Amino acid sequence: MKQLFGIVKGITSIMDKLAGLCFFSVMLLIVANIILRTVFNQPILGTYELVGFLTAMGVALALAHCAFQDGHISVSFIMEHFPRKLQSSAAVLVNAASLILWVAAVWSLGKYGHTMRIKGLVSPSAEIPVYPFIYLVAFGLLGLSLVLFYQFLASFGKVLGNDSAKKVAR
Amino acid sequence: MSVFLVGLIGIAFFFGLVMVRMPIAYAMALIGFVGFSYLTSVPASLDMVAKELYNTFTSYSLSVIAMFVWMGFLAYYSRIGTSLYVFAYKMVGHLPGGLAIATQAACAVFGAICGSNTATAATMAAIALPEMEKYNYDKSLSTASIAAGGVLGVMIPPSVIFILYGTATEQSVGTLFMAGILPGILLTFLNMVMIYLLTLRNPSLGPAGRKSSWKERISSLRGGLGEALAVFILSVGGLFAGWFTPTEAGAVGAGGVLLVSILERRLGWEDLKKSLVDTTRTTAMIMLMLAGAVIFGRFMAISRVPFELANWVGSLPLPPFAIMGMILFIYLILGCFIDALALILLTIPIFFPVVVNTLGYDPIWFGVVVVLVVAMGVITPPVGMNVYIIKGVAPEIPLETIFKGVWPFLGTIVICLILLMIFPGIATFLPELLTAL
Repeated sequence: MKQLFGIVKGITSIMDKLAGLCFFSVMLLIVANIILRTVFNQPILGTYELVGFLTAMGVALALAHCAFQDGHISVSFIMEHFPRKLQSSAAVLVNAASLILWVAAVWSLGKYGHTMRIKGLVSPSAEIPVYPFIYLVAFGLLGLSLVLFYQFLASFGKVLGNDSAKKVAR
Repeated sequence: MSVFLVGLIGIAFFFGLVMVRMPIAYAMALIGFVGFSYLTSVPASLDMVAKELYNTFTSYSLSVIAMFVWMGFLAYYSRIGTSLYVFAYKMVGHLPGGLAIATQAACAVFGAICGSNTATAATMAAIALPEMEKYNYDKSLSTASIAAGGVLGVMIPPSVIFILYGTATEQSVGTLFMAGILPGILLTFLNMVMIYLLTLRNPSLGPAGRKSSWKERISSLRGGLGEALAVFILSVGGLFAGWFTPTEAGAVGAGGVLLVSILERRLGWEDLKKSLVDTTRTTAMIMLMLAGAVIFGRFMAISRVPFELANWVGSLPLPPFAIMGMILFIYLILGCFIDALALILLTIPIFFPVVVNTLGYDPIWFGVVVVLVVAMGVITPPVGMNVYIIKGVAPEIPLETIFKGVWPFLGTIVICLILLMIFPGIATFLPELLTAL
């Protein structure tokens, strides 16, 4: 379990750093475009699309780390009043349902990306192929699914009273 | 089973999942996916989920969120707030409750470069609490005034909640930003008056500090206020003037704060990295919630819940203001339990058609009112986010002490709300003025 914790932490951390780089690039791209447009009357071709693609990459790559840090908003004050065992059992169900949902989304995005690849769909101005970005969104959700899988195992361990799982999950 | 009933069951299941601690974004996406599958087919629903996720994440207009979020975190880590606070308390620190009054002014100005109530509260808590402690301020007043000041961060543009409202209702983000200015200033003023009256009645709550000379006041202008105003004028001013799109305004704002902070050596490499880590986490959280809300909204649309609700409300034998009052009351109650961002995304698709199409209220005005009401949730028990942030900065102060001090500030928000209901022009005047120019 500790090993899995380290692997998940490492992967999500790298993905998150790449996400930060994407957002940094969005800012630079937009500012550069404004300067070139205003001063030289020569905007960067396809800025609109590139900003969308970079944002999608940033968001997708950040999803897993956000989940790993419990950053997705949830309402916890009701469950806090219930016994720990019941809380862990609920967490098992919540993690399992979430895992199924996002794995289904990954599969569906993969299928969607494959269709766009065959169709040869490109962005309107810069004519950049769209499918790699769909795959990237699927990859980001796959990272999220990995975190949920780990959290599912950790919560399952808690239900079974596995102390090491408890410590790692903390 | 009728589609409407399926929609209502879906809403009930959604609240069930939220109560067992499923993240709100997941719960919206899951119920949206399952409900849509039930009413159409599983392949159609899978297809819808994939397309909505991709379209939401690649949306140019939504990339504004990351930029304004980063702008706020850059302002937080570069400690611009410290200079703002120093200037404010040199101006009014000699008055009874002066430090708490200064906190409101600093929160308002900091809110002009930071669109988040939590970042505003965290910044001011770290700066203002030790100062107020030094002057023996009552702990309830000192902590609650910062929590309430944090609300100004969402009212005064840029504001992430206004961006989400604009996205969900297809209203102009620039117009919403402009509509928030006067109510934000009004709330700042009301909070200041409240603090002054409280300390006038009981001076021991906030003893007056030392009076600063004009030389000290002018010298404190350097570093902070000038930069904040310059970035605000360039970024949000550029948006109002029509030079930039909202996304460009956000990027210019983030770039501006970054440039100023680097030039003034306020921001180190570690601070920059921290600002990016916080930005990725917050943006991912908001964007997944947005995607979840879109998926949930698709289910709601085919289940016809918003339309049936609008028809039902339209047939009620009540005047529009009474229905509006009921809707705001629902927001107030839900706001005590659900995060403001999630609440806006979840309820706007349901209530917006009722308020705007059926009752005939102005969509921009409704945006300001609803943001103000849900913002109350950040200082009310049991999940008042700002209160927990202040508790994090000052763990020795009991939560009850902070919540006790919040009551007068809830009063000022209610007064602001009533004034907005009686005089809608407080929100609509500036946007109308800009349109007329």
